[in-house]
Amino acid sequence: MTETLTSKKLAITFFFCLLALVVVMALCAVVGTQKISLAKALSGPADTPGENIDYEILMGVRLPRVILAALVGGALACCGVVLQAILRNPLADPYILGISSGAGLGAIIAVLSGLTWRFWGGSPIAVFAFVGALITVWLVWGIGHLAGAGKSQVTTLLLAGVVVNAFFAAVIMFLTSIAKSDQIHSTIFWLMGNITEKNRSVLLVSAACIIAGIIALFSICHRLNVLTFGQDQAKALGVDTAVTQITAFGLAAFITAIAVSLSGLIGFVGLIVPHAVRLVFGPDHRRLLPVSAIIGGAFLVVADTIARTIVAPAQLPVGVITAIAGGPFFLILLAKYSRKVSWLK
Amino acid sequence: MSSIIKVENLSFGYTPQSAVLKNFHFKVDRGAFVCIAGPNGAGKTTLLNLLCGLLSPNTGYIEIDSEPIGSYSVRKLAQKIAVVRQEFVPVFDFTVTETVSMARTPYLGRLGFETKPDIDIVKEALQITDTAQFASRTLATLSGGERQRVFIARAFAQDTPILLLDEPTSLLDLKHQVAIYDLLKTAQRQKGKTIVAITHDINLAAQYCDKVLLLGADRNYRVGSAENVFSTEQIEKVFGVKTFTGRVGQEKFFIPLGKFAKDCPQIYKNFNSGMQK
Amino acid sequence: MKKLSILLLPIVIVAGFIVISWYQKLLSPTTGEDEVKHPLISKQKSRDKMARTGKPQRIVSLAPNITEILFALGLDKEIVAVSSDSDYPAGAANKKKVGTFWQPNTEAVIVSKPDLVITLWFEQQNQVAESLKRLDYPVLTLKIEKIEELLTAIQQIGVATGSKQRAEQLAKDISTQLNELQSKFGSAYKVKVLWVVQPEPLRVAGRNTFVNKLIELAGGENAVGQTIQQYPPIGTEEILTCGAEIIIQSAMGTAGTSEQQKAAEKFWSKFAALPAVKNNRIYVVQPDTVLRLGPRLCQGIELIANCLHPGENR
Repeated sequence: MTETLTSKKLAITFFFCLLALVVVMALCAVVGTQKISLAKALSGPADTPGENIDYEILMGVRLPRVILAALVGGALACCGVVLQAILRNPLADPYILGISSGAGLGAIIAVLSGLTWRFWGGSPIAVFAFVGALITVWLVWGIGHLAGAGKSQVTTLLLAGVVVNAFFAAVIMFLTSIAKSDQIHSTIFWLMGNITEKNRSVLLVSAACIIAGIIALFSICHRLNVLTFGQDQAKALGVDTAVTQITAFGLAAFITAIAVSLSGLIGFVGLIVPHAVRLVFGPDHRRLLPVSAIIGGAFLVVADTIARTIVAPAQLPVGVITAIAGGPFFLILLAKYSRKVSWLK
Repeated sequence: MSSIIKVENLSFGYTPQSAVLKNFHFKVDRGAFVCIAGPNGAGKTTLLNLLCGLLSPNTGYIEIDSEPIGSYSVRKLAQKIAVVRQEFVPVFDFTVTETVSMARTPYLGRLGFETKPDIDIVKEALQITDTAQFASRTLATLSGGERQRVFIARAFAQDTPILLLDEPTSLLDLKHQVAIYDLLKTAQRQKGKTIVAITHDINLAAQYCDKVLLLGADRNYRVGSAENVFSTEQIEKVFGVKTFTGRVGQEKFFIPLGKFAKDCPQIYKNFNSGMQK
Repeated sequence: MKKLSILLLPIVIVAGFIVISWYQKLLSPTTGEDEVKHPLISKQKSRDKMARTGKPQRIVSLAPNITEILFALGLDKEIVAVSSDSDYPAGAANKKKVGTFWQPNTEAVIVSKPDLVITLWFEQQNQVAESLKRLDYPVLTLKIEKIEELLTAIQQIGVATGSKQRAEQLAKDISTQLNELQSKFGSAYKVKVLWVVQPEPLRVAGRNTFVNKLIELAGGENAVGQTIQQYPPIGTEEILTCGAEIIIQSAMGTAGTSEQQKAAEKFWSKFAALPAVKNNRIYVVQPDTVLRLGPRLCQGIELIANCLHPGENR
């Protein structure tokens, strides 16, 4: 991209990508283990359940899944973009600063406590995972800021993340060892990452939060560009680094915590999608963020479709598909990158 | 001629025990070209960081354009001061145009899109620094000299009255060293920019600058024109190196003399007898 | 000060979240017990349909023990689909499969056109149950983790499937059998049993597990004392001093029991000091009847009892 990015050009790119996403979502909604006839499905619900199963499958099972996959994929990809910019590290993923262990700890505490309350139609695991993720992120950020300052801050933050992750992982291990085998299984499956059907209110609230978060992140994208040159240079170019970092980090952590609470820990999306989009569209975050959100959503929708059809009638956790697809892709990226970018030499 | 930078009674140390600068007074006139020279560790970069607001003084007072530096927001300060540092390669592969466009950040609106005037300023900066030919290449594919010119283009595009540079030519070949100083001098003459550059090359400093600040490692310093500040004795005192000072027309030049300089005793003898060529 | 307030912000948000949701009573404390008490939480439409036909004709079971109960109630023809690990009785193998116990496939369930779906209470199955309920399918969710809960569940299934009398009979039979076994072995000398869940790394069933209950019913006592973990890993020292007289190991998979037996005997020969090893009382058993809380419960207890008191007849 040699010309300067204008809002018009971005709007056009974004529009076409969005169109592509809608097409992908529609196609995936009609694919599944059972053949359904679109005409019958679109004719609306029947009077008694079981009459128009095409409608029930399309609207009640597939569409919520596809929408959730798009939301989660978008949130994870955005978080990856933001963290890679703040930490100036292309290998950062959404879970690097404590979200994964925090969510895991929350989940296993919820399962062990045997709570059966349902918050806003969501399960206790989801809520505990969400709170756990946020608390952990806050802890890591606090430690990172109190322990290090100035130039070494990024390193301190990363180290704080590693330490907190390790500690929480140990606590999870302990709790796992005293849990019943059913509970362990349950937690492990939940953590592996799954896209399931959620009810409308949950979907609506999460969609609102995630989309709002992504839009808020978009408004600071031009500052993220400058931030990748380092704190000193960013300050010299008029960017308030402290405010930008904490805003970006807070928002990214928030939308990721929501995504994780809905679907467990799905890996590779937050790591791979920003790279792939960067390769094609360049590193300008004003374009990188929205396009990554869409591509991330599309990627997860396709991965979930594969996960629920490939070993029918059983299902694979979607994290397995993203790992299988993401791993080799990452190796290819690495090979291409090492020729292109100097930091790998 | 009012001073655009005023430093009064500045003291700064990274730790409470050691002080890099003590009771430091310094003034830079509007539109002047000032060089800061001195041995490593004397505090040149520290002074630069203090001037651009990255560090806060322990005691003392810094004024930029008649306002105390503390009263500027990060954005407003960036509209007054642009900084160019030494060689740097970023993590992500932005193109030259994108990099130089980032200089307009202090002037952009909410969502951060450049307007037509911004784009024009960027184009002009690329033209002046002769980097328009690289516009679509990424920084990593450029040579050191070309990259440094891009960063100077970025500083120009920031359209600030003050330009601070930290050893802008230390890693460049002769041709590029001269090219960059020419650029800076042209900017000073044509646009009235105030230039403050840290440099190791006292000859280039003497050739281009109006005023010199010579920082010694012992917190001593001297300010004045190159003519007055640079002398054999001063250089030997501050840098610990003997030099042969010569003059060609109006230009003074200094040749450092190490143990193995040819005809060393002869030069010293001529020197002592007061002969100048 | 500004830094501190930024750090406090998340706490404020979370607290606000909790307060708001409490205030709006969006926290609907429906406990598992409530759901179990009112098994058929379905909408008016389905209930009408049920009223017309009288009892469900197309039942889907998402757990192996539920499948066994349904078969035991003679509902063979009404079952249209089961979870893929429902392997008993033989008739279950012919039924359509709708995913695994841990990941049931909602689409497959819908395609079976059920008029009753029976699930167990835990996260993954709850998700599917929720989806089905949203589509107005009658779903019965049961919690079967103790023997008492099994008996209650059998009766609830009886009510839901219109086979109340057979269910009561089944529950009564199981109860009676349990009492018989209890009186037969209950007062006898408590044999020290070590129940091995996996040999490497060595993990055994502790005292607060369901298996332990069965061991006690069969006249045994867990060789391992009270532990905080349900399935604690055990060190060599503990093994040598536990004084186990019987070692029972769950077989992995359904094939190769005799090879596993040989391997187990080899493994345990290291601990020659144990009475169980000295007297060669090491058994590898198929754990289905024991670990699966279903109608074959008493068979499971007898299986254990035969290991504990060999040669004693019924």
